[in-house]
Order: sequence, then C-alpha cells, then structure tokens
Amino acid sequence: MFKNYIKLAWRKIKADKLFSVLNILGLSIGLGITLLLFLFVFHETSFDTMYPKRDRIARVLLHTTDQQISETWCASPSAVGPSFQKEIPEIEKTVRFYHYAFGQPASISVNDKELIEPRFFYADESIIDVFDLKFIQGNPKTALTRPNTIIISESSAKRYFGNLNPIGKQLKLENYQDFEITGVFKDFSSNSTIDCNVVASFKSTHFAKNPSWGNASFETYVLLSKNANLTSVEKKMAKLIKKEVIDPWYTFSLQPFPKVHLYSADYSDSYTARIGNIEEVRNLSFLAVLILIIACINYMNLITARSQKRHKEIGINKTLGASTKSIVGRFYAETGLITLISVIFSLILAILAIPLFNRVTGIELDYKDLFTLPFIGSLLITWIVTTLIAGSYPALHLSQLAPNVIVKSVFKTKTSGILVRKGLVVFQFTASVILIIGVMVVYQQINFIKNRDLGFNPDKIIAVSIGAAENKTSINSLKNKLLNSSNIVGVSSAQGFPGVDVSGRDIINPITKNGHNIQTNNTDAEIVKVLNLKLLAGKTLPKNKAKGDSIVDVILNKKAVDFLGISPNEAVGKRVQLGLGDNAYIRGVVDNFNFSSLREPIGAYAFHNDNSRGLHNYLLVKFQGTHIASILEEIKDNFEEIIPNAAFQYSFLDKNLERFYTSERRMASIGLTFSILAVFIACLGLFGLAAFTAEQRSKEIGIRKVVGASVFKITKLLSLDFLTLVAISLVLAFPLAAWLMNSWLQNFAYRIELSWVVFIVAGVIAIVIAIATVSFHAIKAAMANPVKSLKTE
Amino acid sequence: MMLLELDHIYKWVTTGGRRTFLLNDLSLKVEEGDFISIMGPSGSGKSTLLNVIGMLDGFQEGEYKFLDETIHNMKEKHRSKLYKEYIGFVFQQYHLIDELTVYENIETPLLYKSVKSNERKALVGDMLDRFNIVGKKDLFPNQLSGGQQQLVGIARALISKPKLILADEPTGNLNSKQSDEIMQLFKQLNEEDGVTIIQATHSESNAAYASKIINLLDGSIAKS
Repeated sequence: MFKNYIKLAWRKIKADKLFSVLNILGLSIGLGITLLLFLFVFHETSFDTMYPKRDRIARVLLHTTDQQISETWCASPSAVGPSFQKEIPEIEKTVRFYHYAFGQPASISVNDKELIEPRFFYADESIIDVFDLKFIQGNPKTALTRPNTIIISESSAKRYFGNLNPIGKQLKLENYQDFEITGVFKDFSSNSTIDCNVVASFKSTHFAKNPSWGNASFETYVLLSKNANLTSVEKKMAKLIKKEVIDPWYTFSLQPFPKVHLYSADYSDSYTARIGNIEEVRNLSFLAVLILIIACINYMNLITARSQKRHKEIGINKTLGASTKSIVGRFYAETGLITLISVIFSLILAILAIPLFNRVTGIELDYKDLFTLPFIGSLLITWIVTTLIAGSYPALHLSQLAPNVIVKSVFKTKTSGILVRKGLVVFQFTASVILIIGVMVVYQQINFIKNRDLGFNPDKIIAVSIGAAENKTSINSLKNKLLNSSNIVGVSSAQGFPGVDVSGRDIINPITKNGHNIQTNNTDAEIVKVLNLKLLAGKTLPKNKAKGDSIVDVILNKKAVDFLGISPNEAVGKRVQLGLGDNAYIRGVVDNFNFSSLREPIGAYAFHNDNSRGLHNYLLVKFQGTHIASILEEIKDNFEEIIPNAAFQYSFLDKNLERFYTSERRMASIGLTFSILAVFIACLGLFGLAAFTAEQRSKEIGIRKVVGASVFKITKLLSLDFLTLVAISLVLAFPLAAWLMNSWLQNFAYRIELSWVVFIVAGVIAIVIAIATVSFHAIKAAMANPVKSLKTE
Repeated sequence: MMLLELDHIYKWVTTGGRRTFLLNDLSLKVEEGDFISIMGPSGSGKSTLLNVIGMLDGFQEGEYKFLDETIHNMKEKHRSKLYKEYIGFVFQQYHLIDELTVYENIETPLLYKSVKSNERKALVGDMLDRFNIVGKKDLFPNQLSGGQQQLVGIARALISKPKLILADEPTGNLNSKQSDEIMQLFKQLNEEDGVTIIQATHSESNAAYASKIINLLDGSIAKS
C-alpha cells in the first residue's frame, strides 16, 4: 500500500511539472534558509562549550557613568586580576588579557620573515589552566612563567615555520621586543570567544610591573571555586574596591562565561573579534521560521489550487472503497515526497550559500557541521514537521469530502476556505512589504551616515602603522621624506585617529570638581590640518617641543570646553586637569567632530603632546590625486627605507569608519536577500491562488465571454480581486513597518526621518509584482475557449 | 433473495422557498440476480435514483435497506466497507484514475480491500484475460479509446466480485457498436455470474438487454 502511495505521488509530481517545480522551488528556498539559519544558531549557541571549566569561569565587567549615559566595558584595570585573586577566597585564578597596542595588528619578524599578526595577545600564565589549552609542543606548566616567553597556535606555527620545530626559536615584535617560543597549542576553535593566535606572557609587558587601578585596558577572567555564589563574590569585589581605590569612577560585576558570547553586544572594549548578539540570533530564527511558514502556506495554496481535479479523484477512490485514512495517507505521502525532494535541494542550496553567508556576515560556518548527528536529527524533524504542516490542509480538508463529489458537476467550496487562503496571501504580502520597507530604510540610514558632515574630513587619509619605528628621529625623517612628495599634502603622527580607541581619561571641572570621560590622543601640530578640524579659538599644538619641556599642550573639543563651563576663547591658556600632569594648558579649541560611531553622541576629546607617553602608533598621511596605488607604493618605499624589518600596514580612515556599521550592513544584506526570497515565495503563493481562482471561475468566465465580455475586461476582473488583497496587505504593513523602523532608528544619535516616498515605492513594487504574477493566469483564463468550460454541464 | 429495498423515498431541493422533488414517494425492490434498466426523460431522476442506491447521495424521507441493513444513517466507514464488499460503479465518463495504468486501475479496489500481492496479481491477470486487454495493461487511460476505457472501468468494477453493479449511462459516450458489446457483456455477467445490474439509460435498445425496465417520470415510477 505504502509503495503504491509513493508510486502515485511520484507520477503526480511528474504529471504536473509546472506546479511541482513551483512547489519544490518554494519549499527548497524556504527550507534552505531555515537550514542556513539553523546552522548559524547552532554555531552561535555552541560558543565556548568546549571549555571544561566554563561554568566556573566569569568575566569582570566594568560599569561607568558618563553624566546620564552609563556604559559597560569588558576591560578593567590591571590591578583587578592580582588583587581579586589575593583578597577574595572564592576566586581561585585570574587571567588578564591584553591585545597588543589596544587591539592593533602587530608587526613581527620570525624565522627571517616579516609578518602581520592580527591577534597578538599578552596573558597571565593561568590562561593555560583556566581555558585548558591543549599543548602540542612545550611544557604547559612552565611555558608562560618567565617574561619574554610566548606560545603560538598550531596554525601560526605552520605559517611561521612550516614544518620546522618552533620551540626555542625567537620572535621579534615591532623591532623592539624579543620573545622565546616555549609552546605550541591547538588552535582555538571558530566558536571560541578567546581567539588569540599568539600569547606572550603577561610578565613581558610593562603593565605587569606596577598594576594600576587606572588604565582599564585588560580583559580579565576569573576562575571561581566550586559552588561559589556570584552575588556574594560581587559584594566582596565592591568592598575590596572601596578599600583600595579612592573615589573610583567605576564598579565591577561578573559575567558568567557561557553568557559572554551572546550577551555582550552592548558592551565596549572587548578584545575578541567574535561578538554574537542574542537579539540577532532571535531575529534571524524568527525570520527563518516565518519564511518556512510562508513556504508551507504556498504549498497548501498550490495544492488546493488543483483541488477541482483532486475532488474527482478522491470521489473515484472513495467509490472504489478507499477509507478516509487511506486518502489522508496518500496526501501525506505526496507531501512527504515533495518535501523530501525539497529537503535535498535545500541542503544543496545551503551548502552553496554558506561561502556567501560567511562573506556577508563574517561568521565562519562550516558545511561539515551540516552532517553532524544533531544536525541530521533536526533536519529529519524539520522534514517531518514541514510535511505535517504543509500536508495538513490538503490531507485533512480534502479527505473529508464525501464520495458524492464525483457526481456533482459543479462543486462549491465553502467560502471560509477561500477566506483562509486569501488571508494567507495577505499575510505573505504584508510580511514582504514590511521587509521591503525595512531594507530601504536601513540602506537610507547607512547612506546618511556615510555622507554626513563628521566635523572632520576622513577622505584621502592613509593611516600607516609605525609601531616598529625605533625612535622619534626615524618617525620625523619618514614624515619629512613623505612631505617632499607632490602627492602628499600633510603628515601627522599620532597615537590614534577617529575610529580607533585612544586613551580614556577623566577631565576635572576645577570649580565643581566633577570628572568627565575624555578621550586623549597623543599627537603633533599637523593633526588639525590633516584631519581638517575647525579651530574655534587658539592655535594648534606647537611644531617643536624641547626634550625636557614638562609643559603639555592640549587641544580640546567644544564638548570638553562646555563641560568646563567656559567659552572657547576663555579656555585658551587655562590650565586643565585631565590626567596628563599638572602642567597641561589649553592651547586651542576645535569644533566637535564624530570620532566614534554615529550611534553615540559626541563625547569629550583632547589632542596633546605629552612626550612621556611613548611613541606614536600611526602616521596619518593626507594625499591628493586619485592614483592611490602609486601613492601607496611611494609611501611603502619610504617606509621600508627608514623602518626596515617591519611589515608595511595601512588603512584608509574613511574605510575604517565604515566598520562601525558592519552589523547594520550585515543585517541589511541578510535582510535584502530575505526580502527578495520572501517576495518571490509570496509570488508563488499568489500564483497558486490565481490559478485556483481562474480554475474555479472558469464557468463564470465562459458565460461572461459568451455574452460578450472582452479578454481585457475579464483580465481586469480577475486581477482586481488580487489587487484588493495586495491593498489590504499594504494597509496592514505600512503602520507596522513605520513603527518597527522608527524603533530601529532610535539606536542612532543621528538619524533620518522616515519618508513617505519609501512607502510609496514599496507599495508600487508590491503592486507591480502582484500584477505580473496574477495576469498570467488571468489572461490565460480570459483567452480560454468558453466551449470547454461550459460543456461539463 | 432480496438485495435491497427502497421504501417511500422522498428527496427534494429547496429553491426560493419551494420544494422541487427529485424523488417522490419512490419504492423499489431489487432481488439478487436482477438486471434492471431505469429509463426516463432528462430530469426524471434516473441518476439521482442510482446515486441514492449507490449511497453516493442522501435523501430526506423514507427507508433504504441493503441486505437487510438500514443504511441511511450509516457511518462513512461502514459505507466504504459496503462499497468494497458489494458494489461496483460504472460511470458514463469512465472515471479512471489518470495517473494509473490499466493494470493499476483494475488493481486499486483490491488494494483498498488489502488483498495479498500474489492473489491480486492472479485476479487482475484473470480480468485482463477475460476482457482481452492483456496487451494494453501498461497503457494509461488517455492512450485508450472510449470503448476500451469503459471496458477497463467495468473490469475495475468487477474485480472485487461485487453483488451489484450500478451503471449510470455506461454507453452514453460510446458509438453503437461499442455500446452493443458492453451490453452483451452485462448480459453475460448477469446470466453466467449472477451479478445484479442496475443501469440508467436513454436508449431503448440498451434497455432491452435487461430483464426488467423501470420508467421514471418526475421522480416517481410510472405505472406501465
């Protein structure tokens, strides 16, 4: 019997090629997206599950309030680790992480090669035990106990040394620090928050010598004892801070390690490149289920569209003795076969789409994960669930028909059935229109951000990493060489630039004694010119500064001066307290500029020339002309001449700023793909309903034609019905979309206003697509010979 | 032996608040082995009567007994058992299943009766032999002529060895030669196998094959 069902189902699929293709296409796309997103959700929720001690590990979070806005940082001061471990009995171990140069790629030389190592970390030796690093070579007990020792990942070892044994070899960082390689560990997997390629012992940094409660730049993890109570540990932490720090500007809390990946999207200063977002996981899961439902709805629509023929067939089978059960079985067999084919196609689609998905999202999904047991299990469940959902309507509705349908020449469908189907199409179109509007608004906002006046000009500026320069003289001679070029109009050296983190300090209002967060950037006189900042008062930093000069010149932005409660002109010449010693004087004031994401309002910012703060990290080169390749070549040649043995690394300021919006971009491109597919699937549904209606009304159309209706009139008659459905969808979708997009735009301090044009365009798109879809059947029905439709009577 | 009995059957539809009677106080007894032709003009209720007998359609008043069982209040499941056991249908439009071959069409009722595979093969083989359509067994309905399709339809109706065959204008779409062949076949089935046959027909010559003719007029049996 079962074999017979399958045979019949297969012949049905073959007999109705167009409909089978539409069905399978719709379901495959829906299932393909679901698979891909399943994989994504699997990947995201599997984060950090490989660490045996994960339930006892927690990350220290720092909370600080800048006027009304409170922030949470993932980095804490370097004293936090050692003192917590010493004073709080429940904290067994602590690991401090410091990403080289606050997150910059490191230029290293190893095995006579110059390389860029983007993930160069310092960490306490406890990392090996807390995170159970698997050593391939070297002794995990002693690998990081000494200063200037370093362990490297298996893939880095391969990259640096090929098949040579790396143990005992030297690794030179930025031409000034030598490390001895003492171990090779198995790579952190792609679903690990900890993502170091090389780990140098924390003792190698100058931060290790005098742990401070000031500079919050160290991501700190703690290993708690078994059965430790998080709240009581946090209480002890607060008590400790009260004792150790005078007037702290922060408080601490603990974040359980299993929550780190998905629940940290709003926290800043995390060193990992892999930050997940539970919201994103939820949204995408929701969208995946929605698309799957839309695809199932299509299946039902398309199948019931053929129901007139089905009615006859069910009637025959019933008169031949088929029970309701066997009819239900047949419909499910047919649905099951179609969904099975779709599952196979969707698997192929998903595998093909993975590289694209990875490129768009920056997530590393692996197609091999598709063939793991839990995944195959969920695939089977998806198949069964889809079959049950998609097959429910035809199986349960049609099988209830009495055998007498066979002798009724005109069958009447209950209006409720039609209503349900129309409702489903309205649902599909509403969802599609919302998606179309959403995508347009997101793109508009991204464009708005791109073209906004930032208060400085990031165009045509190249930031060259000069961390490997030996001293100030070589930086200056590189500057002078570059300035000789006709293509280069300005060069400034600086600690950082808008778009990268610089040092966070406190500026003190001398009257109220209140403190305020301020970003400080150690730089030179050229910075105002290179960034094209607007000087409101005073002058830029002095060109030359004597070596022993203890005076620090400061340029503040308007926001910082506002905090001090004085006008820009009054500010010039005043002494200012911002953690740069007692001899810091305001030399100039520049207008506000967006040094961070446009999601945040502009904060206080200062440029200064305190030479005691180390060498500058970047050379900011402003160029003119459009021959970027030759300009880069010119800069590179000069760079290699003056700073040999270092890799040349650069970025463009405008490109660098765009990275603030990668998650918006990512959502926009996923959203765009989803919308196109959702609209496509919705069209399949409409196509099915149009076919159904045309079939149902064939007699009416025949009569109308016999009494003289033109093809155009009939096409109009049929199409108008569907346009009504689309119009209802628009009415439902517009307010919903407006509400959704307005709440999304609230995330931005600088945002566009929703324009009615977007709604008009989305509406027109939906209507045009609907007309194109429906008119096929409408015209076909209108052209049909009325004799055919009338003779069955 | 009595096969079925209709007792004062009324069936009507209500249009614009007025009843139009399709069957009007109709009583009929059918013995096993009868061959009955139902005749009458269009709209006299021939098809309705057959559908009521075949349990494809209900009625409002009266009583219907099939093998001494009252059927008009029967559950769908029970009714489908009756089809399987006792009734074979032959339709004017043949109503073969388009996606199935001749062989599979004939086999279908046996599948619903859960007959074993070997036995099915033997039964279908016999039937193909008997109707001389062995060579056509792998063809699909749309590859056959009307007469051949109706032969398959009859073969399918006979395969489950029914006591009663209900045929609604079985030759309505056939030419006179094909029509005669089908009628010969019915006569033979009736006489040699003892199958009870009730057919509705317009044609005097077809009706003459039967042992008994009932004339219908406006839903009642006309006295003749």
